[in-house]
Amino acid sequence: MNKLQKNVLALGIISIIGTFIYWYAKGAEIFTKTQILVDNTTELDKMLGVKNEQWVDKFVFGFFPSGMSSLMEMISTASIAGVIIVITGILFYLFRNKRKAA
Amino acid sequence: MKKTLSIFAVLTIFTATMFAQGFKVKASGEQKFNFEDKAGRNQTSFFSTTPLEDITGLSGGVQGSVSFNVNDIKSLKGKILVPVSSIKTGIDLRDEHMRDAGWLDAAKYPEITFEIKKVSDVKVAADNKITAKVTGNYTMKGVTKEVTADATLTYLDESEQTKSRAPGDLLGVQAKFNVKLSDYGVNNKVVGQKVSENIEVSVNIVGSNAK
Repeated sequence: MNKLQKNVLALGIISIIGTFIYWYAKGAEIFTKTQILVDNTTELDKMLGVKNEQWVDKFVFGFFPSGMSSLMEMISTASIAGVIIVITGILFYLFRNKRKAA
Repeated sequence: MKKTLSIFAVLTIFTATMFAQGFKVKASGEQKFNFEDKAGRNQTSFFSTTPLEDITGLSGGVQGSVSFNVNDIKSLKGKILVPVSSIKTGIDLRDEHMRDAGWLDAAKYPEITFEIKKVSDVKVAADNKITAKVTGNYTMKGVTKEVTADATLTYLDESEQTKSRAPGDLLGVQAKFNVKLSDYGVNNKVVGQKVSENIEVSVNIVGSNAK
């Protein structure tokens, strides 16, 4: 393993760890969400003894992608880690020591 | 004989009045409340919790009506229905799976219904608020079973504030009950892992008696 390969490997590992830390800091959700529930209960609702919640669009970073129908659904710790592993692997291969032809 | 019958009638009316539990509001007699709300504020939800994930499903497409004598909540009758297609869990792909034949089979059974059969354990919490156990036939995926919900009913006379929601008097219904998925033919291998076998169902609806 040459110096360039070591650097690529270190960068890849740091990026994956960073992704995990970001995921944990954002609530450690299992699946990526594109909508969250928001409490819309009004004073009148409270007088009537009911609560009101609504789905609103908001991105929540999850560990696994929640679908494939949009880019936002695909973004997740697992998918980013996968992409990093692939890129690291390609660079690791490209930066290998090439043997000189005899 | 006439005198005896009269005494009996008076006693019957007196006993019925004494033991009837209802709202003490301006309205009287039979009232019908419709729960259709195009704004989607009438909602039912379900909650599933497993070590892996908590899931909340919400439907804003509640329809149906109830009717009762204001002075006797035990006379409550009616039916509430929820279109399966209106249930959202916050993840589109999961919503699609939920409508599949392996889950709720929305194509074959497009509605979940609750038909009220009887009211018991009535407690008057305030002049316009009653808590009770409401028993009814709950139908999901073509299977009907009797369930009992803990319900709170709140009656508001029409006012400037209530008109902002709907014309007429308003009835708020908050109810909770549990359903076991396998009882309704939902036997998916994911049940018990990502989705709980026992689901908590909540109802938060407001009806209007405006004609």
